[in-house]
Amino acid sequence: MGKVIVITSGKGGVGKTTTTANLGTGLAAAGKKVCLVDTDIGLRNLDVVLGLENRIVYDLLDVVEGNCRLRQALIKDKQFGESLVLLPAAQTREKDAVHPEQMIELMAQLKEEYDFVVLDSPAGIEHGFKNAIAGADQAIVVTTPEISAVRDADRIIGLLEAAELYDPQLIINRVRPEMVRKGDMMDINDIDDILAISILGVIPDDQDIIVSTNRGETVVTDKKSRPGQAYRNIVRRILGEEVPFMDLHERKVMHWFKRILSGEAQ
Amino acid sequence: MNSELCTIKGTREGLVITIADAVQFGEVLKSLERQLLASQSFFRGSSAKLFLQQGTLTDGQIDDIEGLIVDYGMRLNREPVTVSIHRPLTEPATEDTREVKEDNTLLVRRTIRSGQRLHYDGNVVVMGDVNPGAEIVCTGDILVLGSLRGVAHAGAEGKVDATVFAFRLEPTQLRVAHVISRAPDEKLPQPTGPEIARVVENSIQLSVYNH
Repeated sequence: MGKVIVITSGKGGVGKTTTTANLGTGLAAAGKKVCLVDTDIGLRNLDVVLGLENRIVYDLLDVVEGNCRLRQALIKDKQFGESLVLLPAAQTREKDAVHPEQMIELMAQLKEEYDFVVLDSPAGIEHGFKNAIAGADQAIVVTTPEISAVRDADRIIGLLEAAELYDPQLIINRVRPEMVRKGDMMDINDIDDILAISILGVIPDDQDIIVSTNRGETVVTDKKSRPGQAYRNIVRRILGEEVPFMDLHERKVMHWFKRILSGEAQ
Repeated sequence: MNSELCTIKGTREGLVITIADAVQFGEVLKSLERQLLASQSFFRGSSAKLFLQQGTLTDGQIDDIEGLIVDYGMRLNREPVTVSIHRPLTEPATEDTREVKEDNTLLVRRTIRSGQRLHYDGNVVVMGDVNPGAEIVCTGDILVLGSLRGVAHAGAEGKVDATVFAFRLEPTQLRVAHVISRAPDEKLPQPTGPEIARVVENSIQLSVYNH
């Protein structure tokens, strides 16, 4: 029996979809059978980020409405094939076309077959959010070091608790160590102080993410990528390993060294 | 009421039947039946666990207990006879037992998060934080054993001598009775210790708490 993990945030644009894609890919790379589910009906993205958009025939709504069998709607990943599949969202319908009861049933079915079912939740706290969390066993809240994102994360944690999804874990995305050091960005402690839930990982801001997202690839399998490393660490933590948090300042220091060596610095 | 040999308590994970001493098993059963009878419709449909404080129960005795509670429409989770309770997935949210009403004071054993609003006729004690975007309104005093960063309104029905206390008092807005004050726009140094807010000459004043 697998585990259903919902990736949620409240605020839009903090990296839920990127996180879902990377954690899913990372778990598949670690040898697990993974199903990704896009619950953002009407505004689907996960297929695009994974570069699978052109393979969609059936979607989540077709499955719950019985237009196709579940297996027919699952799209195999380019790299991992059977062990990483995507159930895409419908693009032409709205969130209220699906009900939480249908999601619970669907998740129960997927759990039978996959080790991990990772759900990408829509932004907001309305119907789509309720659908996304309905069948989940565990929640991961994504935030960025901005007051508005942290505020929304706090709201989401309260709502998860009310829905009996206890002990959500936090991913802090797009941290820029240089800005934190100068006091221009909230640091991890500030965020931890308010949200007070366990931190699953911290992802440094990096242009790798934008480049790979636009190519329909994930950074998690890129050995040289810093955010890729951060996502790999999170995957290992999800699988129960103790992994120390990486030092986000490292790269700047390396950069600085290189500049000295090349005689660039004054 | 004299102390019962057996008590039934609702927890967020279901009911827990605590047995003080298994030696007087006959009495335990009687006590259990009395309580089930008193509030049978309340317990119906829930699942219960046993917690034994003293003595041991034979399988036969557990069967007896199970028979009794099944008669009242409940299920017994026979597995471990401990308090380590797990939550049944199908049960709807029961009343949050982290909030206990006593002498008109509400004790909240959790953090109040953004978007959560607490209204109470009396005093409120929060063992946790009150985060920005959260709101507490009550007719009495407010005590926060943690950081107060949201909105707090004490003495909401005109009790001017109501106070707001917090280990770290950094509210977005404070209201006591009809007086409203907000945090200044520029960043203040963080409070170093517990502070208390009260109305002094029609404005809210914060002072370091020492008693």
